[in-house]
Amino acid sequence: MGKYVLKRLVYIVIVFFIISFLMYALYNLIPTDPARAQLEPMRPQLKPDEYFRMYEQLRKEMGLDDHLVIRYARWMGIIKGLKGEFDGLLQGNFGYSQTFKKPVVQQITEPMKNTIFINIFATIAALGITLPLGVYCAVHKGKKFDTTVQTMSILGYSLPIFIISLIFMYFFVVRWGIFPLMGSKTPNASYEPGSWAEFVDKLYHIALPVIVMTFASLGGMTRYVRSSMIEALGTDYIRTARAKGLREKVVIYSHAWRNALLPIITSILAWFLGIFGGSVIIENTFSLNGMGKLYWTGLNTLDFELVLAIQMFYTAVSLIGSLLIDLSYGIVDPRVRVDK
Amino acid sequence: MSKKMKNITPKKKKKRNTLARWFRQTVLRKHDIDYDNPEVIETPLKIVAQNFFAKKTAVFGVVVFLLILLVVLIGPYFFKLNLGEHEQTLIHIPPSNNMMKIPKEMHGRIRDIAPGTTFGIGVDVEGKVYSWGHTRVTDRINLNEIPDEVQEADLKLIAAGMDHAVALDTNGKLMVWGNTRRSQARFTPDMEKAQKSGKNWNIVQLEAGMQVSAALDEGGYLYLWGNRSNFDLGIKREYQGNIAKIAFLANEYISLLKDGNVAYTGIKGKGSPFSRIPDELLQGKTIDIAATDRTCAGLTEDGKVYFWGRLEKGESEMPEIDSKIVKIEGGRYHYSALLENGNVVSWGSNDYNQTAAPAKVTSGGNVKELYVGNFQNYAILENGEHVTWGLSGFPLGTDNFGRDMLVRIINGGRVTMLVGAIAVVIATIIGVILGGLAGYFGGAVDLIIMRISEVVGGLPFIPFAMILSAVIGSRLDPTQRMYLIMIVLGVLSWVGTCRLVRAQFFAQREMEYVTAAKAMGIREGAIIFRHILPNVFSLLLVSMTLDFATSMLTESTLSYLGFGIPLPTPTWGNLLTGANNSIIIQQYWWRWVFPAAIFGMCTICINLIGDGLRDAMDPKSTER
Repeated sequence: MGKYVLKRLVYIVIVFFIISFLMYALYNLIPTDPARAQLEPMRPQLKPDEYFRMYEQLRKEMGLDDHLVIRYARWMGIIKGLKGEFDGLLQGNFGYSQTFKKPVVQQITEPMKNTIFINIFATIAALGITLPLGVYCAVHKGKKFDTTVQTMSILGYSLPIFIISLIFMYFFVVRWGIFPLMGSKTPNASYEPGSWAEFVDKLYHIALPVIVMTFASLGGMTRYVRSSMIEALGTDYIRTARAKGLREKVVIYSHAWRNALLPIITSILAWFLGIFGGSVIIENTFSLNGMGKLYWTGLNTLDFELVLAIQMFYTAVSLIGSLLIDLSYGIVDPRVRVDK
Repeated sequence: MSKKMKNITPKKKKKRNTLARWFRQTVLRKHDIDYDNPEVIETPLKIVAQNFFAKKTAVFGVVVFLLILLVVLIGPYFFKLNLGEHEQTLIHIPPSNNMMKIPKEMHGRIRDIAPGTTFGIGVDVEGKVYSWGHTRVTDRINLNEIPDEVQEADLKLIAAGMDHAVALDTNGKLMVWGNTRRSQARFTPDMEKAQKSGKNWNIVQLEAGMQVSAALDEGGYLYLWGNRSNFDLGIKREYQGNIAKIAFLANEYISLLKDGNVAYTGIKGKGSPFSRIPDELLQGKTIDIAATDRTCAGLTEDGKVYFWGRLEKGESEMPEIDSKIVKIEGGRYHYSALLENGNVVSWGSNDYNQTAAPAKVTSGGNVKELYVGNFQNYAILENGEHVTWGLSGFPLGTDNFGRDMLVRIINGGRVTMLVGAIAVVIATIIGVILGGLAGYFGGAVDLIIMRISEVVGGLPFIPFAMILSAVIGSRLDPTQRMYLIMIVLGVLSWVGTCRLVRAQFFAQREMEYVTAAKAMGIREGAIIFRHILPNVFSLLLVSMTLDFATSMLTESTLSYLGFGIPLPTPTWGNLLTGANNSIIIQQYWWRWVFPAAIFGMCTICINLIGDGLRDAMDPKSTER
């Protein structure tokens, strides 16, 4: 198991560097010039040749003329930065956001908390519903309830999440007025930061987005759990278990369920990533102060370092997600541990 | 196998090209064999088709999807998209079809009709007022709510503006309703005086425009009132008492004087572009004038029409006429004229069918009266019957630029489907090639390809597509950007297909027919693509169907976020951009309900087809 974990870790680190380099190179294609942006306000006071000299100097100071690989390594914190110290992503320096005029780290802390909170909330809620529902449908396949769920689940995975949001907004906000339309907190609310009231207000605001995210992921996941459970129930060892006279509960939950879990775990990765990607849409639709919204803003204002940092966050989430999946695979499936 | 069979029945042996043979053998499952034994006739395709069509949901999916596809493919030829379209007067109109639907009570008893922007107001012979069409001119104001005093009065004249209506009863009382917050109902002092005394107050013409109105006295006195900020609402002293008829443009008005000349009587005078009146109309022989939004027309005694102003929408392109014009009326971008022989002719912009006058009025020869407004025409025949043509409404409403949602949904569907289809083709090609190579060769090739696919599959899809679209797309024009989205979607979504093909190849390459092919010395490329691939094709078809729906969803999501196909090109995604506020959700519901409904229907149907196909092809699934 130890060797297996180590192997996966090394692999993930390599992938992280490849992706981050690709992202960095890609984002360098954007024709932006931070040196010029910094100098532009002073331009009227300077003579042309003076301006040009300062511009050149600033470019040198910022290291803009260096080779892409060197700039990448500096940004990452693998080699020494311009001030002679290691100061990059690995050291926790995510750069400076031109849009918000403050370090990216400060800017993304709060949204990151929100996004992770929302996503984990939605994941737990969706898993809590889909797993029992899928198993129940598989065990009672062909019954009326199963057919209904099957038909409904097609709706769930065919409709894009923003249409589901609009429909839910219509009913829950406009029609019934249960939830607020957008935002992550009540404007001008007077409660102390960190208080219970603030937490409740936050929950009140994210309730609808979480409901939408949960609903949107129900369809695909339920179908997947159901079909892998049916597959597991159709195998020979289940017949053997039943022939031994085991109770149906034991057959389903101990024998079939553990084997059905394997394919489910793999699909959870794709699904979990989908939820994070989907939260870009949700956060923009509901105007939540999250990473997705920030990412959208950053892309629209071409805020180089902010977007790159958030992109790294998404990459890290996906890689950590895949590591977790691999590990749990190892725990659930003994063969993986032995084989590798 | 097939070669052997062909030898058995040499009569049937026909030379076909490779592609056709491959298609017949794999898709249609038809071999060039003439079986004597009828038991074998049940081909796999037949079984698949039978299974497929036995499922009601799948059949439903096929039928509805084909319908949508047909609409989306053929529709754009009938509902042409105009990307620059922007019609201020038609913003946020709900689904409607009643803009020219005169109430039954009025049929045959029409005294006067005032066509408004999206509605109509009429008076019957007893002086009773009626309204029809989209009368809710703003969120709160509905012209349908006619004040009691107007309803009870015996009306003589009526006029409809953009958001207000004016009526005059037989006692000379002037009434205004609708939006009155922009001084639409604030009469000028001399009007009040005239109304009280009755002097110079024998009104023969009522006009209403954008928040302004005018009343013309028989003696030539003109009264103007309303919102002066956008309109040259005034009359030069020298013309007062000398006016025979007026015509409203968008922000100005022109007058026909009693001496048969046309004049620009507003305060702007020579400063207005509309004061450059053709000489022919200054000879004292003008009998009628009319105006559209930005053009004017004058009719002389000999039936000739002269135009001036900004003639940009074909307002001056009058068709050949075999009779003399006796009356001319202007809409917003078109003119309609009544001829001496009782026919009607319309010309100008035909964006809303304003000039598509029916044969009944163009050659019937019995038109008595003609009322023309914005985009509507009403002709009253000798027998009291009425004929209408022009804009009757928008079946699916309009958006915030006054564009027809139906047109945009149909054209948007075409874009979304095209992008989805091409993205799937790209993804499938990449997936099949890489998956085939990985699955067939295994070993190091497999390892490398699978690592690549893991990296690509591990990328968070939406953020990555957004960044690609933003970085590369910022320098592209809309068409190139559409291709970019296709490629981005294709390049990022091949992983599933690749894994599927690889797994299938792993199973297939151990089969005997592959060994046989190898033994015969067939090239490996040929084995992969001509021998193994056809056997994987059925599964591939299923995954392509399902991927098609996914690609459409992704494209629409990107467009919704503003990183896909940019506006004003419509797609099913960006039609919903900005729909997430309570005003649109509640009040302008047609802006999101219709695109969402047709798009949802489409993806649901594709998924139903995909599911149905998979179940039909997978023998195991029938047991489930």
